[in-house]
Amino acid sequence: MTGLFLLTLRELSARKVVVGLFVVATIVWVAMAFALQLDVVDGSLAGARLFGQETTDGPSDLDAPVLDADGQPVLDENGQPITEADQLPFESRSLLESVVFGAQAFVAGAGYWIGIVLALFATGGLVAALSERGQVDVILTKPISRSAVLAGRLLAVMAVMLALTTYLFGAVWLVMSIKSGLWNPRFLLAIGAVFGMFAVVYGVVTLVGVWSGSGPLSFIVTLGVLFVSLILAIPTLQEQVSAVWRPVVWGGYHVLPKFGSVGTTLVPQLATGGAVGSLYPLLSSFAFGAVCYALAFVLFSRKDF
Amino acid sequence: MPDLAIQTSALAKTYGGRPPVHALRPLDLQIAAGETFGLLGPNGAGKTTLVKLLLGLAHPTEGTAALFGRPVTEPQARQPVGYLPEGHRFPTFLSARETLRLFAQMSGVAPAERDTRATELLALVRLAGAGERKVGTFSKGMLQRLGIAQALMSRPRLVILDEPTDGVDPVGRREIRTLIEALRDDGVTVFLNSHLLSEVERVCTRVAILRDGVLVRDGSVADLTRQGRAWHLTSTPFPPETAAALAEAVAPERAAGTTAGATDGLVRSLVTLPDRPALNAVLDRLRADGVEVEAVEPVRQSLEDLFVEVVGESDQG
Repeated sequence: MTGLFLLTLRELSARKVVVGLFVVATIVWVAMAFALQLDVVDGSLAGARLFGQETTDGPSDLDAPVLDADGQPVLDENGQPITEADQLPFESRSLLESVVFGAQAFVAGAGYWIGIVLALFATGGLVAALSERGQVDVILTKPISRSAVLAGRLLAVMAVMLALTTYLFGAVWLVMSIKSGLWNPRFLLAIGAVFGMFAVVYGVVTLVGVWSGSGPLSFIVTLGVLFVSLILAIPTLQEQVSAVWRPVVWGGYHVLPKFGSVGTTLVPQLATGGAVGSLYPLLSSFAFGAVCYALAFVLFSRKDF
Repeated sequence: MPDLAIQTSALAKTYGGRPPVHALRPLDLQIAAGETFGLLGPNGAGKTTLVKLLLGLAHPTEGTAALFGRPVTEPQARQPVGYLPEGHRFPTFLSARETLRLFAQMSGVAPAERDTRATELLALVRLAGAGERKVGTFSKGMLQRLGIAQALMSRPRLVILDEPTDGVDPVGRREIRTLIEALRDDGVTVFLNSHLLSEVERVCTRVAILRDGVLVRDGSVADLTRQGRAWHLTSTPFPPETAAALAEAVAPERAAGTTAGATDGLVRSLVTLPDRPALNAVLDRLRADGVEVEAVEPVRQSLEDLFVEVVGESDQG
């Protein structure tokens, strides 16, 4: 397994696209370090500048009442006006927190939606490449089990992607924390959510790659699964389809990974320190990934090359 | 019972489809440790399937196979095996030395030994000067030599070589042949799968021919190429009455003086008889009539002739 692990690390390093992902991650945190200037006075945000341009005009924005369509203040259940700060997706109420958490939520979201797809693109062909004639003959005839071969390859991919996620999120967290003096360790939990969902989605890549031996096909099918899962996650979809299709939509949503739900709800909640509503989308996605990996290992062990 | 490097029992492989393809019919094969075994057969005969089954690359439909007594279903059965696949592909971003070290690690070679062994083998296959070059820059012949080095990294007791001289120039081909002979002399079992029949004939002690998934010939090269009950006889000329008496069994061939090492005045005859006692009776008669016998050699066909004959049987029916 160690041999395949090391070979895969070398292969990933030889693929410039993985190096490119690390470069992009570096650009992100360096940009945040130099472009975003926070003026913190006595623990409060006095001003924020992005590339030297003022981006806030004081805390009064957050204290402003939310107005309805008639221009009247919206009241809460106690008859008090609801402010903009009350509508933030996290419990913090200060402008400083809103800026810091907002920036962290932005990075987490970008890392999730764009980063995972880029990571799939960079690593999607590795599993299928194992089945390529000429390579598979040399590797599988060594005195190692097929499970160890596949596990070595997957562990290397996971190690690199975990390192990449930790590097990006960790660096952004450090930069924002040092600049603002506001330390939000829960942001680091987003690393687990983003990496976990990458691992889940990579289960589809692995299964299709083992089955078909085609890197492009495994990448395309995985994108297809993500697309379908996003469609199925539309809250009103079940009400809009006919009764015949309703169970299909319901079943599809619960079986497939909840890529949209995790990305729109859980990751921002974790990144901004907000209360986590439900772990069901994440846990059921993990179950889906586990089934994909189990099937892939069984298929790989039984396949004729 | 000799130590068996390879043993199969009713080993068969059928690939699904319509109709199903019987790539290998139930095969019983035993290859003793130390043998140099050549597997021959036309394309689609089942040679590659047999190798894949032995190395665990494919799963048998029925039957069993073992390497040095261990079932091939156990990964550790491949521990004493070195394999050079046809059309192998090594990571192009690794150097030759890194490639050998990597596959040595996968083969379970001790870390301390990997570099030394890589140096030895790079020298053996004439790649000592290219050890630090990336594999992606190698010619086909260099890749083939690197493949052979890779197969030998773990000091295997069984080496399976699939078309080892493919893409190699005549000089390199001779070197590979010498290498195989050296392995044989060291007691390594060699399983050679090659289309170059002359090479198989030169280095193999035993040959088998597969046709349509069935083992149709198996034996030593000498036995397989012996042509019926016929002998070349080199002797002094026969007295006329002796020649007349043996005319049915002994026919003049050509002047022996034209063959290397023969002395002037000898003649060469083709002797065709039902069995060895009859041959000895003829020899007794010749000696009694004053004929001096220089040599008696069984008539053999080349392995290529045999191969064409066997494949021809298939074509005819």
